[in-house]
Amino acid sequence: MLGYHLRMALKSLRRTPGLTLLMTAAIGLGVSACIVTLTEYHAMSSNPIWWKNSVLYAVTLDIAATNQPNNPRHPGLPPAQLTYPDATYLARSSIPQRTAIMAVAQGALDGAPDQSVAVPVETRVTTAGFFHMFDVPFKYGGPWNATADRGPQPVIVLSRRENDRLFGGADSVGRTLLWNNHRFRIVGVLDHWDPRPRFYDMTVGNFVRPEAAFIPLKWITALHMWPSGQMQCWGKGAITYSSLRGPGCIWLEMWAELPTAASRARFLALMNAYATEQRKSGRFNYPLNARLWNVGQWLRLNDAVTHDSRLLLRLAFTFLAVCLINTVAVLLAKFMGAAPLAGIRRALGASRREIIAQHLIEASLVSLAGSCLALVLTVGELQGIRALYRHTHDVYGKLAHFDPLSLLWALALTVLSTLVAGLYPAWRAGQVAPAAYLRTQ
Amino acid sequence: MNLGIRPLLRALQRNPVGEVLIGMQIAITLAVLVNVTGIVTRRVRRIERPAGIDTRDTFAIVVSSLSKSFNFDAAESTDLAYLRGLPGVAAATVTTGEPLTHDGSYAQFSSQPHRRGNTVTVSVLPTDDQGLKTLDVPLIAGRNFRATEVTSYSPRDPSPPLTSIILTERAARTLFAHGSAVGKTIYGYGSMPVTVIGVTHNFIGPLLGDSPYDTALIPQMSGEFGQYELLVRTRPRQLFAVMRTAKRHIGMAHPDAVVLYTTTLSADLHRMHANDRNVALFLLAVTAMMLAICCFGVFALAAFNVRRRTKEIGVRRAVGARKRDIVVQFMTESAFVLSGGLALGSVLALAIGQWLTDHDGVSHLDPWYLLVGFAVLALTSQLAAWQPARWAATIPPSVATRTV
Repeated sequence: MLGYHLRMALKSLRRTPGLTLLMTAAIGLGVSACIVTLTEYHAMSSNPIWWKNSVLYAVTLDIAATNQPNNPRHPGLPPAQLTYPDATYLARSSIPQRTAIMAVAQGALDGAPDQSVAVPVETRVTTAGFFHMFDVPFKYGGPWNATADRGPQPVIVLSRRENDRLFGGADSVGRTLLWNNHRFRIVGVLDHWDPRPRFYDMTVGNFVRPEAAFIPLKWITALHMWPSGQMQCWGKGAITYSSLRGPGCIWLEMWAELPTAASRARFLALMNAYATEQRKSGRFNYPLNARLWNVGQWLRLNDAVTHDSRLLLRLAFTFLAVCLINTVAVLLAKFMGAAPLAGIRRALGASRREIIAQHLIEASLVSLAGSCLALVLTVGELQGIRALYRHTHDVYGKLAHFDPLSLLWALALTVLSTLVAGLYPAWRAGQVAPAAYLRTQ
Repeated sequence: MNLGIRPLLRALQRNPVGEVLIGMQIAITLAVLVNVTGIVTRRVRRIERPAGIDTRDTFAIVVSSLSKSFNFDAAESTDLAYLRGLPGVAAATVTTGEPLTHDGSYAQFSSQPHRRGNTVTVSVLPTDDQGLKTLDVPLIAGRNFRATEVTSYSPRDPSPPLTSIILTERAARTLFAHGSAVGKTIYGYGSMPVTVIGVTHNFIGPLLGDSPYDTALIPQMSGEFGQYELLVRTRPRQLFAVMRTAKRHIGMAHPDAVVLYTTTLSADLHRMHANDRNVALFLLAVTAMMLAICCFGVFALAAFNVRRRTKEIGVRRAVGARKRDIVVQFMTESAFVLSGGLALGSVLALAIGQWLTDHDGVSHLDPWYLLVGFAVLALTSQLAAWQPARWAATIPPSVATRTV
């Protein structure tokens, strides 16, 4: 029966090749626009460390000394970063299971075999907790320990990419490198790790790769380096090394691992107590506003999903809606045009269900062809987006990669469009009264 | 002439679903068209905003120090002397933070001490007496920095307090709505007094949200954040040759510094607009396709109606309707559906516009866009209905006498 329905459907579609082609094109365009925008949206809205979503918390305090809003995008909220004294004080607390404080610094690596010039590398200066808290995978070696943080000891962890570049992918643990002309010992090499969005520091772009090298935080002050990420200072004149360690500059991000509600409450109480104490000494002009953010909240707060992405997603679905409405109208017209045929078939004994099934199959064929077209279009469109965003820092180009999930989306949208576009016209075709058409014959 | 509204309404009542669907399609298309026009216009305006500086012949070299004993002043002076001596260089300066990128520093100034009076947040370009010449920004009033005013920079010692500043016209106007800002005193953090010595034409400094023209120049050598940026303006058509030579030389000049990257300001400008341009492109492409599909729908429905009502047309022709009357009848029918769609679409367009304003901060709709949307949709969909109406007119009266 199915084979017969298929043959009938194909025959009917071939009778009006122009309409068939246009309906297919409409569904193809609509579905592909949806897949492309969904791919981008999905990449932006994902939580790269969902399994620790309610365990990891970003730590923020309302610190700034000016009467300007701290956080221009969210005036009521504290800024995303902390000062050196505040962060180091909170990191000494034993309430969290682990903490990490961090910033990004510009470095240059030299001294690898066969290396002729120093290569600039973005470097994350942080504490040992970073690797444990964020479940960072290691290919060789491992993170440094707390003693190395206190020293600071000259230890460095390389990203897999950087290790591939400098050592051809060999196990480089135990070898030494020059980081900004200082000798560091390699203790670990990461495996592939590219959390998207890069939740742990969203001040310098949400979809940049993790840094190429990691060293203990204290080196930034020991070597008189500067953070190269975001930094806000309030003070007269230019910023000096000493202002970096003082209470007048925020430049550090802090995360704490707080697995239980009790530990969260205790840590928040500690933050508030600290802020109250600081107010007495003239800092913290704001009302108490210490906050902890879990990963999901942090991603939302930092606009991981851009306005544009939401706008385009909405537009794409509206477009698909128009395409589907169009298909319904055309199919309806077509089926009604062929109503005498359905009438005769009904008169010859076809049941109403069979007529509906046959027309539904015809609709499915159209949306199936449309979806195949959509997949081809999607691949091309994603490539086009990458080309448009080449050499730019915008995220859309980086996220425009075919996602296995996109196939799933395509499948779902095909089913949806078949149902939406085909059901009503097929039902109407099924309602044809056989007698009316027999009479005119 | 009888336009046949009543038979038309009756026809619609018999099978309104097709007409309703096409009307809905027109409504949605109008709503999208109108709002997309608004959004794209905003983007295009942003792209067309003049940079105010010479982007064609200017490039930047960004240098980062590797050691704590790095002498910024000495290195910068050496580099500038070298660059200014190169044939093909029109002007060169050193700064922190590059115009047209997100890389830079910001500061707040007010017209009265203790943050009273008018306040402005500006992106700050530290530079020397060659800054204006390198950026190719003309002064409107006041004077440029003198070479002797430029303070040195040391990351260890607090720098001498800032005493003079040059503002863009926009920033100056924000602080002092009336009269010239030149000679006035403004106040930075901690009520540090600074004298405005010059006002320039507007130009875009390091990006600062929605007010990119709020820019200030201060007379200071660079080195904050351990980096400095050499800005070089070349003579016409010598940009790339000079850039190659300079990059090679400066890359070798300092053993304890690295060149992070070099870039042209035109590339920065291109990057700055990339997202707006691409989003506008995507919006326009989808809207154009939507319009095309909408027209196709109108066409298909009209053609279907003509075929379905062949006999009725034949009868009308047989009882004396002219070809013109048939065309008018079908065009009226499609205009009827069109006007319903447009009416619904206007409501939808306004609703979406309001919703966008509330949620995304995109500005209100311009009534003009609605008018343009009306015109575009009316024209295209009536054009789409035109061909089927002409087919209808060719149906001969003899059809009326046939049985099928």
